[in-house]
Amino acid sequence: MAPPADTSQPHFAPGCRWGGSETERMVLFPEGAIKIEGTGRRILEACDGERTFLDIVEELQANFSASDPARIRADVSSFLESLQQKRIIDY
Amino acid sequence: MSSHPLALIAEITHSCPLHCVYCSNPIEMTSRKSELSTAEWVRVFQEAAQLGVLHLHLTGGEPLARPDLVELVAAAQKAGLYTNLITSGLGLAEARLQQLVSAGLDHLQLSFQDSRADSANWIAGAKAQSHKIELAHAIRKHSLAFTVNLVVHRQNLDHLDEMIRFIEDLAPDRMEIANAQYYGWALANRAALMPTRSQVERSVAIIAEAEKRLAGRIRIDSVVPDYYAQYPKACMGGWGRRLMLIDPAGKALPCHAAGVIPGLAFDSVRDHSLRWLWDESPAFRRFRGEDWMPEPCRSCDRRAEDFGGCRCQAMLLTGDPNATDPACSKAPAHRLIEDVLQAGSTDSAQPVSASSFVQLQQQTLPLWTYRVNPK
Repeated sequence: MAPPADTSQPHFAPGCRWGGSETERMVLFPEGAIKIEGTGRRILEACDGERTFLDIVEELQANFSASDPARIRADVSSFLESLQQKRIIDY
Repeated sequence: MSSHPLALIAEITHSCPLHCVYCSNPIEMTSRKSELSTAEWVRVFQEAAQLGVLHLHLTGGEPLARPDLVELVAAAQKAGLYTNLITSGLGLAEARLQQLVSAGLDHLQLSFQDSRADSANWIAGAKAQSHKIELAHAIRKHSLAFTVNLVVHRQNLDHLDEMIRFIEDLAPDRMEIANAQYYGWALANRAALMPTRSQVERSVAIIAEAEKRLAGRIRIDSVVPDYYAQYPKACMGGWGRRLMLIDPAGKALPCHAAGVIPGLAFDSVRDHSLRWLWDESPAFRRFRGEDWMPEPCRSCDRRAEDFGGCRCQAMLLTGDPNATDPACSKAPAHRLIEDVLQAGSTDSAQPVSASSFVQLQQQTLPLWTYRVNPK
């Protein structure tokens, strides 16, 4: 599998979903759970199957305008790719 | 230590249409008439979610043998639990599958015994293979996580590569390739199931290759046989640390096999809350923490990683549940494991070929004992 393309629409893989409480958000998946906070949570909440990878990146670039936009793009891409390898995210 | 279990294993019945020779159920099984009612299980699921349990594993026996399974899944989903069904698939047709998915089932694990029908049916002591294949295709049309489980052992490891490709064609999200664990029925059949060292070494290489080839498509989780490991497995993630198992009659156990430990009484959800069972019941406190540990565990650097290994295995092999797990190379009783492997290295219990399933079963009856059903 390749990293997400600009037009990819990331979403949870089958059987992966939110759980836990509002203050302690978890992603639940077969045989496991991960606590997701901060930017990771923000990215995953944007993975609604509607927004494209580019939408998600641009939203973050606008929110973190002091950071290097190319770096943000690379970070989001590798974050999503690592979750895709774990079969938590599809795109 | 976690102040609550993270996962609840609910053995909702011990009844099963299969008779697998490595079944993890105890030899002494719970009868159908003493099983918990629907309402009792629903209460257990609600308490579990309140306690902080994230995952519920519905298993058995064969959980489909419970006519109220859809109701139980709906209740677990309503309580907020991530719900996993571990099944042979026997008794599951399209309509009930649809109902389970609609009720909120998150994950389904379908067991296969082999890629070859004759061999699979022989291990299971029942004709199940063709139904399982048909069902796997039906499951894939639904939106839920799908895992194929495969138990590996001496009789099928020689064609592991073929089995992985067979599973690949069923297109699951995950495959679990687990060596048989030697408790209950598997311990009774150990001589016929224990792989050779060369089988284990080849299988590790085959799995590593498959992991690379299937990355991003199918996740592979594998369990090596602890008899061949240098250190013992961190059984259940440590006694009373992560998991709680409720048996069909409502008894709370720290693991599948804990019933083999003499003098351990298991309290029931019929008399106590899950909170009390976890915090206070003597069975959960018995080997929690490090106070029970003998040497060499007590001063071992790995004691926080493997927790002294498995208490049930220590009991079954040495007769002393407090002993260091003999699977550990540092264990005083490690010789017991070496002897088993030594005996198995010369014996060639090869797969038997026969023209029919019945013939196969008859020819191999001296080889092993099939799991029976509760009365």
